[in-house]
Amino acid sequence: MVCNMGVTKVIEVPIITAEIPIGPQHPALHEPLLLKVYADGEEIIRAEVNTGYNHRGVEKLCEKNTFYRDLFIVGRVCGICNTVHANCYVRALEYLLDARPNNRARYLRVLAMELERIHSHMLINAVMAEIVGFDTLFMQIMLDRERVMKAKEILTGNRVLADYMIVGGVRRDIDEVKRARIRDLLLKLKPRVEYYKKVFMEDETIVKRLVDIGVLKPVDVTSHSLVGPVARGSGVKIDSRASDRYDAYDEIPFNVVTRTEGDSWARMMVRWDETLEAINMCLYILEKLPFDGNPVPDEKRLPRVIPHGESYARVEAQRGELTYYVMSDGRSPSPYRVKIRTPSFNNVINSAFMYVGLSIADVPVALTSLDPCISCMERVTVIDLEKNTRYKLTLRELAGGKV
Amino acid sequence: MVISVSSKLDFFSKYAVKTEIIKPKRIAFTVKSEDVRHIFEELIKQHGHGAFYVSTIAGTDLPGENKIRLDYYVVLLPEEETIVIRTYLDRSNPLVDSLVDIIPGVLSGECETHDLLGVFFKGNPFLKRGFFVALDVAEKGIYPLRKDSGV
Repeated sequence: MVCNMGVTKVIEVPIITAEIPIGPQHPALHEPLLLKVYADGEEIIRAEVNTGYNHRGVEKLCEKNTFYRDLFIVGRVCGICNTVHANCYVRALEYLLDARPNNRARYLRVLAMELERIHSHMLINAVMAEIVGFDTLFMQIMLDRERVMKAKEILTGNRVLADYMIVGGVRRDIDEVKRARIRDLLLKLKPRVEYYKKVFMEDETIVKRLVDIGVLKPVDVTSHSLVGPVARGSGVKIDSRASDRYDAYDEIPFNVVTRTEGDSWARMMVRWDETLEAINMCLYILEKLPFDGNPVPDEKRLPRVIPHGESYARVEAQRGELTYYVMSDGRSPSPYRVKIRTPSFNNVINSAFMYVGLSIADVPVALTSLDPCISCMERVTVIDLEKNTRYKLTLRELAGGKV
Repeated sequence: MVISVSSKLDFFSKYAVKTEIIKPKRIAFTVKSEDVRHIFEELIKQHGHGAFYVSTIAGTDLPGENKIRLDYYVVLLPEEETIVIRTYLDRSNPLVDSLVDIIPGVLSGECETHDLLGVFFKGNPFLKRGFFVALDVAEKGIYPLRKDSGV
């Protein structure tokens, strides 16, 4: 009937609900994830999270390889938080072995993990600046982030993938020259981080885009198992470093940063404050590094058999509580079961309720404040009634009149 | 061995069949699978949603005993004490009541355990294959973390 009226093409833009897929593939997407949101006009009325685009079978891989080879596998679960993954796994093995590294090794482990926290928090804050359209700030933060990458390279031998942890200690010690260089880099970095924190507090664009976006109430945080800066930004004081006091966290002074606002801005500010806390912790470690023996154990003397038993280690990764469950049957050189629960697993999948009520433009901000990095991609469907075909257009093409 | 359990867990004694320790110092209460939901309902009723969160659900295949073991790692707040609620399911018909309607935070864990180990959470409408496992594996009906899956 429509064709009779001389109309050959119809643009199907649902008036009641528009389905907008965000992901899984996009040049700005850091992780393959599909966030499907349903919008009534500009307002989000429902959101779904779809995963499964990057199944690597790490847990199965761990069961197939030996306890010590798994060290390199777990370090590659996530690039940006590889030392915390390795630390959590190594500590799970140490609990089984009843082993405890010496003080110097415990301090060096914390140093590596806190350097990683600094560069991870700087990265996500830079990405947030980019998402809100403040590209200059993104570049400035990334430039200063290079200092901490350099510091991590001096400590561990690599900028990102460190492979620094080993059962009973760490892989490399540092000397006085390295200690002075890392300290120098951190002292130069500290005023820059303070400046960026001020920018996030005072810049009109950032405040307008972030404040009151994606507000999470404390009870929603706990009932949805959200962890890390997301929880602390809503005033829920969850921090494995403070509760489990693993490695040298029982000796190094630090504050657990919390805010009560619960919005995207609060989450980013928690990250800036934690970055400053981490810099202070690193400076403390470099000053008070104990000398109680060699922190690098002899790999040839590591126990070949891990005793029968189960252990469950927690670590406060940059994105929140990361847990490893390791089970050994006491006979096999491989673990019977390794269960990894990453913080983003909870924070991203369980947070779909947060988007309801936001406008479409706020979705990337809310999503980035959880610390994955996914950009938007909107499309409409064009139905050609003459050829009886459907094809999709991006909004940019539509705006350019390319229907 | 004297186990100090915070007062929040007093009511556990009527459910716990066995108590053990997962290193380091995580108390694991073994309960019957039909009691799991009652325990969480009672925990919410007595202390509210703000008093705990379910951190991890870890399933383990135990073909020797013809069982699948399910561990709920629960973090009690504000002291952040991790406890474990452990239950055993029949391997040929692993079925347990879902918690997703009372604790939405278990969604990720339940979906994962279903997809990787084949545990069915009764009452969870979001369970589906291919949520984590590659579709070519899921379509064959294989649960990769089962010891006899051949993956």
